[in-house]
Amino acid sequence: MTTPRPSQRLTIALPKGRLLSQLLSHFEEKRVSLSFEDRKLIAEDKEGMFKAFLVKNNDLPTYVNHGIAGLGICGTDVLYESGHRFLHLLSFSFGRTKMCLAGKSAEEQISIPPRRLQVATKFTRFTQDYFHSRGIPVQVIKLEGSVELAPILGLAPYIVDLVETGDTLRANHLKVIETLTEIEVHLIANAAFYKLNYERINDIVERLRETQGSKE
Amino acid sequence: MTSKRRTFLQLPQGTEAFYLEEAFRHRRIISRLDDLFERWGYLPVHTPVFDFFDIYRGLLGDAALENVYRLIDREGDLLMLRSDITLFLARQMGLALRKEDLPVRVYYSDVILRHQNREDISKNEFFQAGVELIGRAGKDADLEVMVLLLRTLSALGLPAVMHVGSRIIFDLFFADIEEERRKRLEAAIAIRDTKEMAQLLDGWNVELIDFAVRLFGYIGDADGLNRLRTQGTKLSAVPKGVLAELKRLSELSKTLAKTTARGSHRIDVSEIGTQPYYTGIVFQAYVPGQDSAVASGGRYDGLLGFFGLSAPSIGFSLLLRKVETYVDANGEDRIPQAEKATGSTFEEKLASADIIRKKGGISIL
Repeated sequence: MTTPRPSQRLTIALPKGRLLSQLLSHFEEKRVSLSFEDRKLIAEDKEGMFKAFLVKNNDLPTYVNHGIAGLGICGTDVLYESGHRFLHLLSFSFGRTKMCLAGKSAEEQISIPPRRLQVATKFTRFTQDYFHSRGIPVQVIKLEGSVELAPILGLAPYIVDLVETGDTLRANHLKVIETLTEIEVHLIANAAFYKLNYERINDIVERLRETQGSKE
Repeated sequence: MTSKRRTFLQLPQGTEAFYLEEAFRHRRIISRLDDLFERWGYLPVHTPVFDFFDIYRGLLGDAALENVYRLIDREGDLLMLRSDITLFLARQMGLALRKEDLPVRVYYSDVILRHQNREDISKNEFFQAGVELIGRAGKDADLEVMVLLLRTLSALGLPAVMHVGSRIIFDLFFADIEEERRKRLEAAIAIRDTKEMAQLLDGWNVELIDFAVRLFGYIGDADGLNRLRTQGTKLSAVPKGVLAELKRLSELSKTLAKTTARGSHRIDVSEIGTQPYYTGIVFQAYVPGQDSAVASGGRYDGLLGFFGLSAPSIGFSLLLRKVETYVDANGEDRIPQAEKATGSTFEEKLASADIIRKKGGISIL
């Protein structure tokens, strides 16, 4: 019987955007040196551990689900929207944010349950599941960005979006009505990939684990 | 583009067609598997393409319920298309077999139909080949089916590793937990979310939570599992049945290690069964480059009883389309070269072709 040989490098998908710099500096702290040359989307670390792919945040679960990248680093918001199931190997303290229901500053607190909630959001799956789990009917309008415009222009009275500082909301005369969930950044794995490489991956998990209280 | 042409180009999710070389290779692989299964004393069976949905409703997990195709027949009854051969086979065997016929060894290879998301096209879960050993309980039956799976993967030249766990460990460890929380625990174990696991066990003794988290995350060999088991014996809250099943799992692994290739299996306590009907040993096989398990199986001692014949059973199924691209390395399943028959008339060409064919060659007219 042929038994599998461990491949040279573990494949990992990393998200483009603001999370990347935080990630790479965390890697650096853990002595994993990974840098993407100008416009290049694939990089390898000097130690021979990783082959990393730089992908659009929303596409990251697709790459890991298909096993193209065995590992990935991604927020729970994106994972939830993908609908795929991954192994959750590690949570990071950086990149944390909140998924909130927001509306016009003058808007009264929603009396639960309202007859029907109309919400504009990028996070349609989460929004629907969240309100349905609370027994609240919700009409979801899908938007790709600048969600704050929806209440201002009258598309929908409420939005569900990620809120970090709340500055964008305030600048647009909106306020957080309710925090729906906390969003964390996770190291995820394709289950089959993990099972075949679990020893090496476990070593990496321990290496990337933050020391308690370091960034909390 | 005309709308008619557009209609032809659309392919429904959850089924596929394949042609020529690909179909040739597929049939050759099936033929090799049939031959292997028959040499182990298994006989072929064919299951219906659809059956009444209500019969199976209670046996389908949440994911299966979402993905199964349903249709209404002319009398208004709700039918379901075959999405899992083991289920359909259990009903057929429950109807056809009597106690005195047991044990029975059967094999199958057939198309399955279930919905597949557009984002999941690489799943390739369209064709199952597998075996069921009906009417045999015990260690030897478990070993027979697991060794046969490893031999099957080996015969196909696949660099696979089988992960072996047990549903019993999960069922006994969490027997007193209400169903909703148990489902969430099952999901947390499957995704190795230790934080969620610990939260779900809130209220338990801290040492017991720690042991549960380590146990259900364990992957390794029999010696490692025995060490974990010894730690478990020191915790009075660990059910005795769990310790006994860990010992049994460890013994099975030792026998597998003696009888199969080194590194071809591992104990994996997080494997707790992919189907709700599993009741004992469970296993899945993984191949590098594949996004999910290529084969899965386990013991299902209650399933046939559901259909009227109480008989302990164990089996596995291999998602053949997932692995066919790997099976070409030695060229055994490639189309052999055909020789063109010679002659100027049809009769001459036919005679020439027949001579080539008699010698074992392939000839086209």
